[in-house]
Amino acid sequence: MSVADYAARNRTRLGGAAVAVVLAGVVAVALDVPVAALFTVGFVERSLQAATPIALAAVGGLYAEKSGVFNIGLEGFMIFGAVNAAAVVALLGGESPTQADLWVAMLAAVVIGLAYTLVFAVLTIRYKADQIVAGLAVWFLGLGFGPFTAALLWGSRNSGRLVSVDDVTVPVLAEIPVVGPILFDTSPLVVLTALSVGVAWVVLYRTRYGYWLQAAGENPEALDTAGVSVTRVRYAAVLFSGAMAALGGAVLLAHSGSFTGTGDTMVNGRGWIAIVAYLFGNYNPLGAGAAALLFGGLDMLQIQFQTAGIELPNRLVNLFPYAAVVVVLSVWGSTRMPAAVGESYESEE
Amino acid sequence: MLNATVLQRLAIAVASTAMALLIGLVVVAAAGYDPVAFLADVFEGAFGDENAVARTLKFTTLFVLTGVAVAVAFRAGVFNIGVQGQFVVGGFAAVVSILWLAPFLPEGGVGGLALMLLGTLAAVVAGGAYAAIPGVLKAYADANEIITTIMLNFIAVGVVGWLVEGPVRGEGQRAPNTDRIPEYVELPRVVYDTPDFSVVGLGVALAVVGLVAVVMMRTRFGYDMVTSGHQESAAAYSGVDAKRTVVATMALSGMVAGVAGAVFAIMIQGYYSDPAGVGTYGFDAIAVSLLAANNPLGVVPAGLLFGGLDSAGSHIRINTDVPVQLIDGIVGLVVLFVAAPELFRMAAARTGLGGDDR
Repeated sequence: MSVADYAARNRTRLGGAAVAVVLAGVVAVALDVPVAALFTVGFVERSLQAATPIALAAVGGLYAEKSGVFNIGLEGFMIFGAVNAAAVVALLGGESPTQADLWVAMLAAVVIGLAYTLVFAVLTIRYKADQIVAGLAVWFLGLGFGPFTAALLWGSRNSGRLVSVDDVTVPVLAEIPVVGPILFDTSPLVVLTALSVGVAWVVLYRTRYGYWLQAAGENPEALDTAGVSVTRVRYAAVLFSGAMAALGGAVLLAHSGSFTGTGDTMVNGRGWIAIVAYLFGNYNPLGAGAAALLFGGLDMLQIQFQTAGIELPNRLVNLFPYAAVVVVLSVWGSTRMPAAVGESYESEE
Repeated sequence: MLNATVLQRLAIAVASTAMALLIGLVVVAAAGYDPVAFLADVFEGAFGDENAVARTLKFTTLFVLTGVAVAVAFRAGVFNIGVQGQFVVGGFAAVVSILWLAPFLPEGGVGGLALMLLGTLAAVVAGGAYAAIPGVLKAYADANEIITTIMLNFIAVGVVGWLVEGPVRGEGQRAPNTDRIPEYVELPRVVYDTPDFSVVGLGVALAVVGLVAVVMMRTRFGYDMVTSGHQESAAAYSGVDAKRTVVATMALSGMVAGVAGAVFAIMIQGYYSDPAGVGTYGFDAIAVSLLAANNPLGVVPAGLLFGGLDSAGSHIRINTDVPVQLIDGIVGLVVLFVAAPELFRMAAARTGLGGDDR
């Protein structure tokens, strides 16, 4: 679907978005908000970092849902990803883990995540488990076993300081004003995420596998008739979604440098926000990435408010992303789900 | 799951719980603790002495109420994952309204009873209204209620947390708490002489269960709710306004969650603290309801099971060094197995225990 088509079909939505932006502008002028102090280069950098875990999980969840399985357990898989990455870092590096340890840990978190996801995939695809209920179960398992792992390793639900990922600086290019620090002096995980989003778009819309994936969710009978195993496509998509969510959790850990298992854990709703991100992005990986960036930006507003001297309680500013999700879902609510989502498929042969 | 007989459902519930406990024990053993001692601690913590029983019944009261709240919605095909938020909002409303109204009413037994009733009423209204928001958004804006209710949980915890930290913090409270509600506002101690459990509270929970069961099974509204959940087109043909039913279902579910919040605030806490630390009754209630196949009456034994597990958790926290989060993990496993009844049907068919009658 081209941009012009999209604009024609979504006049009210785009209109609503435009009205929201204008309203925000009016409020900013009326309250004399120092806008320039809010939108700094640092803010863009922080927003990109905050968006990475959401975008990665969103791309995974999008693939699963496109294939016909609603993976509502993203949040749980993210918690497992974060705690497993933390555990591997600690086991490899002991008191002073290195960057290499961190990268191995992220890889390990993805591999372990694949193993968990396989169980989820077998239950939902082979044993026809209710996808919603099984997904909720994954969340509960994460909330329980994530902090449990931390308590075993560190004697508390939070890990100590581990290690966070170093920025990569490209010489010369990083000197360019504004663009330089954002693109060429940043976390390598931001670049990795941007690449993943792009590749996910290409695979989904420009390869044969992408068409199979869409057919598995829209018209599994047709795909079956064409001689492609619906079950296999769905297994692949669900495994991919779990791996991406685990990577998202590991990336979250790599940026923050320690595991937090108190309250709703350090993932703190990002898996749920990821689901909204791909709904908001209309099941398009690029749209999901953009939506993740929006939520990442809202998440980081707190720091901007502080530096700009705007007095608002932290506790309330922290709620912006959640409130935004509710607003987005209400305005954008009726995205068209793939037709066969939630239904198990059994080949006739 | 709807086609299963009562006996099959019971078998699935028992098998799910047993498998979850078994995996829990394997994890305990793998983590280097003694699984037999752990199991003994679970039983001792849940039913070991009178204190343990009272503690179990205290948690049971909350799980029965929150479980029924979840069951009302699930039964009608609406996923209310927001019971935790409605529970928090309801409990907070109860405490605040009791604190505000106390000066206008006489002290002592009569005043205490009136305040408890008014506080519970406030909790019911607040819980119902908070649940109606996602109901309206689902009915009229097509917003997925699973996600809106989860977001509203985060928002409820954040806003109430901010309120008890600042605007309604009690005078001279060092922790972020409201003032205590007056001492005469308490449920009478019958049978058990513990400060945070009263059999009356459990009685309230069972009365709510009875009321909800009657509404669901014997009234026009309940019939409309369940049919529009499972046979939307049939319900539409028989003249049911599906949108209004969704809103009413969510509101009813939230009202029950509000009662749970009031019972928690009045019977257990006596004030309101940061809701980030009040316990995840509203989330565990999802497991309670699923285990009960979303049947309001089935919630009672399921609530007792979870009450026992939580009570065992409190005991384990104090008496052993097994991380207590394991209990939360076991709850997750129960939900996972309940989600896949087919797993047990196939297992039963393979092993020749029946189960091919579907």
